[in-house]
Order: sequence, then C-alpha cells, then structure tokens
Amino acid sequence: MMHKLIREPLVHFLGGALLVFAFFWASGSNRDPADYAIHIDETDIERLKTGWVQNFRRTPTQAELDALIDQEIAEEIYYREALRLGLDKNDPVIRRRLFTKMRFIESGETADSGADDTILKQWMDDHPEKYALPPLYDFEQIYLGQIDASEARQRIDQLKAGANPDSFAQPLSTPRTFARTETADIARQFGERFAEQLETLEPGDWNGPIVSGFGSHAVRISAKTPGQTATLADVRQRVANDWSATRQAEQRDKSLARLQAEYDITVAGRP
Amino acid sequence: MRKTLMLAACTAALALSACSEINNEDGGGAEIANTEYPEQVFWGDTHLHTDNSIDAFGFGNRLDAENALRFARGEEVTATKGAKAKLSRPLDFLVIADHSDAMGATKAIMEAPRIALLTNKFLLRWHDMMNESDEGSLQVTAELIDGAAKGTLPESLTDPEETRERTADLWEKHGEIVNRYNEPGKFTAFMGFEYTPMPQGDNLHRVVMFRDDPEEMGDTIPYGALGSQDPEKLWTYMDAYEKKTGGKVLAIPHNSNVSNGRMFAMNKFDGSPIDAAYIRTRALREPIVEVTQIKGDSESHPFLSPNDEFASFGVTGWDKCNLSCTRDMPPESYGGSYVREALKRGLELTLSVGANPFKFGMIGSTDSHTSLATADEDNFFGKHSANEANNKQRALEPQNLGTREGRFGWHYLSSGYAAVWATSNTREAIFDAMMRREVYATTGPRMQVRFFGGFDFSADDTADLVKAGYTKGVPMGGDLKGGGGQAPKFLISALMDPESASLDRIQVIKGWVDATGKSQEKIYNVSWSDADNRKPGGDGKLPAVPNTVDLAKGTWDNATGAPELVTFWQDPDFDAAQNAFYYVRVLEIPTPTWPVYDALKFNLTLPDDVIKIQQERAYSSPIWYTPAA
Repeated sequence: MMHKLIREPLVHFLGGALLVFAFFWASGSNRDPADYAIHIDETDIERLKTGWVQNFRRTPTQAELDALIDQEIAEEIYYREALRLGLDKNDPVIRRRLFTKMRFIESGETADSGADDTILKQWMDDHPEKYALPPLYDFEQIYLGQIDASEARQRIDQLKAGANPDSFAQPLSTPRTFARTETADIARQFGERFAEQLETLEPGDWNGPIVSGFGSHAVRISAKTPGQTATLADVRQRVANDWSATRQAEQRDKSLARLQAEYDITVAGRP
Repeated sequence: MRKTLMLAACTAALALSACSEINNEDGGGAEIANTEYPEQVFWGDTHLHTDNSIDAFGFGNRLDAENALRFARGEEVTATKGAKAKLSRPLDFLVIADHSDAMGATKAIMEAPRIALLTNKFLLRWHDMMNESDEGSLQVTAELIDGAAKGTLPESLTDPEETRERTADLWEKHGEIVNRYNEPGKFTAFMGFEYTPMPQGDNLHRVVMFRDDPEEMGDTIPYGALGSQDPEKLWTYMDAYEKKTGGKVLAIPHNSNVSNGRMFAMNKFDGSPIDAAYIRTRALREPIVEVTQIKGDSESHPFLSPNDEFASFGVTGWDKCNLSCTRDMPPESYGGSYVREALKRGLELTLSVGANPFKFGMIGSTDSHTSLATADEDNFFGKHSANEANNKQRALEPQNLGTREGRFGWHYLSSGYAAVWATSNTREAIFDAMMRREVYATTGPRMQVRFFGGFDFSADDTADLVKAGYTKGVPMGGDLKGGGGQAPKFLISALMDPESASLDRIQVIKGWVDATGKSQEKIYNVSWSDADNRKPGGDGKLPAVPNTVDLAKGTWDNATGAPELVTFWQDPDFDAAQNAFYYVRVLEIPTPTWPVYDALKFNLTLPDDVIKIQQERAYSSPIWYTPAA
C-alpha cells in the first residue's frame, strides 16, 4: 500500500507543494526565487545576434552584443515588474492580442481530421434536403410576350380549349420543350422566379401564366419525377466539404460555449 | 476506427495530395462528356482575392479560399463583417487569384507568435498595429501597397528564397482545397494567382490561370512581381512551366485604365519598340483581357471615342491618375490604357510588323478582395472587407487604398463576370474556350450573347442562328480571311438576363486601318427595342431608350426594352483590302447603380455628382478580318 502511494504522481505533486509552502513559511516571505531568476542562454544570444544582422547587415561587436544583452535583461525585468503591478490589466492592446492568440490556439485544437463513410452517411441522413437529387420536369413552355396577367390568362384558356400554341408563341430563343430537366437548369434559362412558380404546378393541361423576367409564359407539364435520394457515392465530396465546414464552425462555437459555461455573465438590460 | 486513424494520419502528414486523390476516386468522378459545339454559356469570376492576399487580409478579410469557393457555388457564408452573404445564382467556375507577392504574408504576420517577430522591428510594428485595431490593419495595408509601389518592402517579405518555402507550403494546401470543390460538370475551381507589377504606380497587373490539376503542377509556385516587374519575365515563367510539366497556363491583363498608357504600349518594358518575338509571345500568353471590374471599365473613353455616347461607362474616378495615384494620366496616355484603342493598335502592328500582340478576347471579373464574387448592384459586397454590404458610409467615403488622393466609394463598380462558351463545365473545356477567345465580358448581368461571322450567311439563318453560325462561320474570337471581296456577314443575338433588365440595343463596333495606315473606328446600331418608334437620325444615332428608373424604389420597367434581339448584319462600309475587327456591345435599358440600393437600405441622401443610373452591358470578343494574301 505504502509502496503504491509513493509511485502516485498526485502524491508527488502534493508533497512538492507542501515543501514550497514550508519554505515560504520558514523564510517568512512569499517570494519564489524562480520568479527572480533571469537566464540568458546560448539560444537567446543567437537570437539577438540574428536580429542585429538583419538590421545592420553585419555581426555585432562584443560591446554591441553586451549592450543588446543588457537591454534584453532590462526589458525582462521591467516586463516582470509590470506584470506584478498588474499593468497588463485593462490595456486594450494587450487584451486584444491575448484574445487573438487564444482564438488562434483554439482553432488549431479543433482542426478536423477527416471523416469516414459512416459519419458522412449519418450527416447525409441528417440533412436529406441538401442532398436529395432534384425533381425532374418534362414540360413545354410557350412565351406569350410582355403582356399583362389577364390577357395571358385568356390565351391560356384558349390553349386549354384546344387552340394551336403556335398562334400565341412569341419568338424567344429559349427551348420550347424540356425533358427530365432539374430546377437549377430551368432557373438558368428562365430565372429563379419562373422555376419557383413551376414547382407549384401539377402535370396536366396548359397552365399559367408563369412570369419570368422575359414576360409571361404558358406551361404544360407532362411529367414530374420526384427527387430521388442520392447515394453517398453520388455526392461524397460535397458531403465531406459540408460536413467539415459545418464541423469547424460548430467547434468554434462549442469551444467558446465550453469556456462561457464557466462564467457567470450578466448584461444590463438583458434578461 | 482504423480508417479514421488513417485519414487522420493523412491530414496530419503533408501527404495531402495523395489523400485527396483517394477521396476523388471514392467520389465516383464519371467522365464528363463534351457537347459537339458550345451549347451553354458558363459564368465565372477569374479574379477573386481571399485572406491569402496581403492587402485583402490587411483590409480585414478573414474568409479563406474554402469560404470563397462555397460562396461561388451558391452556399450562404458569413462575410467578414458579419452580414450573411449569398449569390442570387451560383457561378459555374472560379479562379482564386491571390497576389503572388508575399502571398499569405499579412495573415502570417498577424497570427505569428509575437516572440518570433521580436528580431524584426519592421514586422513587429506591423504585427502590433494589425492586432491593435481595424484601423491599424488598414494602415499596415496602406504601407504595404505604398512599399510595394516604391520598392521599400522589408527584405523578409521580398526575398525569394525566404518566401519560397512559405509560399510552397501555402500553395500545396490551397491546391487541396481547390480540388475538394472542383466538381467536373457542376463547378470548376482553377488554380491561379495575380502577378502584380506597378512600376511608379502604373498598373501592369495580370491574373495567371492554369488548366491543370494541382497535382500535375509539380513544384511550381506563383511568380511574383518582386521577381521582375517586366511582363516578359512572367511569360518566360509561363513558358518554363509548360515545358516542365506539359501543362497549360494563360495570363489576363486587367485595369489597363490605370496603367498610365503602359498596358498596351507600343514599346517594351525597357522602352525599346516591340518586335516580332515580343508580339508572338504576348499573343500566345495573353489571349484574353479583363475589360471591366470593380476598379472601373477599360473598354473606351470619351476622349478616344468622342462619337460614342456610351464610352463614359465606369470611367469617372479612374481616368485622372494611375493605380496608386502617384502620377497623373494625361489624355494623351489613354491610347495605351483602353481596350478598343489597343485592338486598333493591333491592326496597325499587323501591317507594320506582321503580327498582332493585341489580338485578345474580352471578359469581365470582380477583383473583389472580400472572398465574395459579387457583381449584382443589389447584392454588392464592395472592393474589400472594410466596405462590405453593412457599411452604410461606403458609397460616399473617400477610398484611398493607401494612396494620397481620394477616389470615392461610388466610383467603384459592381462589376463584372466572365462568360465562356464551352463544351462542358471542366477545367479543360473552359480554359480551351478562353484560348480560342470564345468568351465575353459583362458588367454583372448574365445576358446570353451569340456572335458569328462568315461570308455565307443569309438573313434566314437567324432562324437557327447557332447551327448556322457554327457550320457556316466562326464564333466570337475567330478569324475571317479572304471572302473573295464580299463584305463579311454576321449573325448576332442577345437574350436578356431574366433576373436583370431587358435590352436597349445591340451595337457592332468596327475598327479598321485606312489607306493612310491609320486606324479608325465606327459604331453601328444593328438591333434595338421598339424599332417601330425609335428611328435612327441622320447621324445614325438612335433616340435613347426611355429611362424608367424609380430612384425611390430602385425599380425599372422591363417593358421599355426587348427580352431578346436577333439580327443579321453585313458591313455596309467594307473595303476588302483593309484589316478590320468587329465586336458586339449589348446595352441593357437604364437601371439603378449600387449606391442607390445602399441609399434605400440605409436612408441616405446621395449628392448630385453620384452616378445613380447606368446602362449595364456586355462586350463580345472580336472577330478579325484579314485580307487574302
């Protein structure tokens, strides 16, 4: 039992803390000597030399190097004294820099490492509307021109009664008939507004008017094939992109939320 | 579990390209079939900056290439300044063209741990300023642009060896993102960059775009103007790339309007007259020019084309001083700054030197620095992130961009896009269409423009214009030779963008060299709306189309224009002995500019000098006529 305790890191830690505490208690000060040690080692000196070379295009003399080192020591002393006096508090520059650093570290931690098919399939099933293959339309349209709605309706009534579509069709170089065409391609030809109106119509006789930027159209849908469910193979790259983009955004929010949960936040005027 | 681990290892290691290949195979990339002739026009932006551009990041842009690609594909993203951003319609392709000089540098300076910069006072100061505030970040950007113009950037940003490693790493990661969003048949993502020389602040910028997949590009990294400001050196880099990899690459000059006459100068960078070797290389390397974008329109200028009542579009604010506004641009310099004049110079050089360096097609693109490729007036996200859609002062504030003199927000255009007649939506087909110049420019609206030239057309061919065009003639960007002395004939159609405005007119702009060896130009109105009532006057000018813009609502009446214009036209002033070019300009009816939408949204009063109404337009690539030898 004792043997096991001796190997336990927690015990080491507590033991160490006890020793430090005992030292301060015995010496009557709360001064940690490590806080007052400054070591300029070889790598620090190298760094100072490199900086000098970049600015002056030659190596520093010994006197210059000594001055650099003294400057470094002075900076470090004032830096630590400033921290002891709490000068880092309420300084917007320091605050902003620490914020940037922290956010950078957090975003590094949460970088994604990729997903396997199970995860992607699950993501797909959770967002069926994003990956459903679009419905396909078989339809015919004739362009009635820039005419008002009541006039257009009259012509459509005549079409329903059997009038020849050619007698109303105004010239426009968009195709007259479409076979198994998806909404996005219809919107390419006629604009979003046309495609949206088409979605509300049922297959059957002449219908409309549907209004596009060109003017009024009469439309006859012969078949509407509902959108099929895509397989992962169809859309894998898109799913992977969406999954990882969303994950990254979510994890950013999550890591803030995780930290935020530790805080008790009140805002005047906010319930 | 094992698979997850393997993927994790792939991402962690730098073997990214190998991993993305695996993904592509899983994605089931079926071969995309090419159509027999270009049936569809594909819309894109060849000139978009993300947070990897030193100035874009400095201006505050925090959206990366992935966000830029998602936005272009039609996804909603959150812009840097917090507004939700979505295109009304997706684009078909995108070239992210970040500045090659110090690519990724501002991002690296800002995000670097402070300790790593302690030895470099210059960068440390910038790091601190950038982290301090948005204003500090803007100031750093101004200093960067100024430093680049004056050649006083710190060595750690300009030294090729020092930057090579950082750029190669960044370029490889960029290629991986571009590949993930490239979906042949649906959306094409190109590799590219911007080469940004500006001697004395004169703009000689080019976008460079590659036909190849990132993994085929070997250890190629973007070429910087810090390597050389002489575009011929860029062409040498392009030659070397093609020789080494077997790939293909082209360059697209832009903003000739602020080049102080140097973009289409009659001499080389060193001042010597251009010669046959220069001409051959330029014609091969620069098949297209970006004629319209955020920083103005470069088609022509009223000084050069006094008889063209539409030549002033996008000129205001851009014709007085060069890009950095360090030098005034006298009107005498305009000849080397505008595209129509360059096309004319090309004809003159064809006669004097025997070849044409300015035989290019035309596209538009955005040059947006927000990662958001917007060109619609009512959905404009500005030149850079400090001027996004939720900045209500942006139309009226001076926009110094690191320069000493003010241009105002409203001088910037919500323009433009590149239209490409290609046989499929793939890297290969779109790039090849650009090489053969079967492309056109628009200032934003997606009107469909067809333009064919030939000697065997008749007026009846308008009934099946596309078929006749391809079987009996050449499309835009093509060449007509000989013809047995008869005047060339043209089939032209323009279909309005159903989500924009109807059409005022189609014009043919002809340039030729007269018997004295001097180039000339003439504009023909060839088809227009309400032809029963609008009759050309004695000077050939048409009465203007009515202006129906309601500034209080931001609306207009499409009934005053034509949904579509289709025509057959034959040159009435043809001389078979004279070299000539013909291109088409399509004008929409008048519509409001983006500041009008800002004024409505933010309840602003726009001063009188702000341009509030414009006629958006398309410029086709030319068709050239050369006399039989």
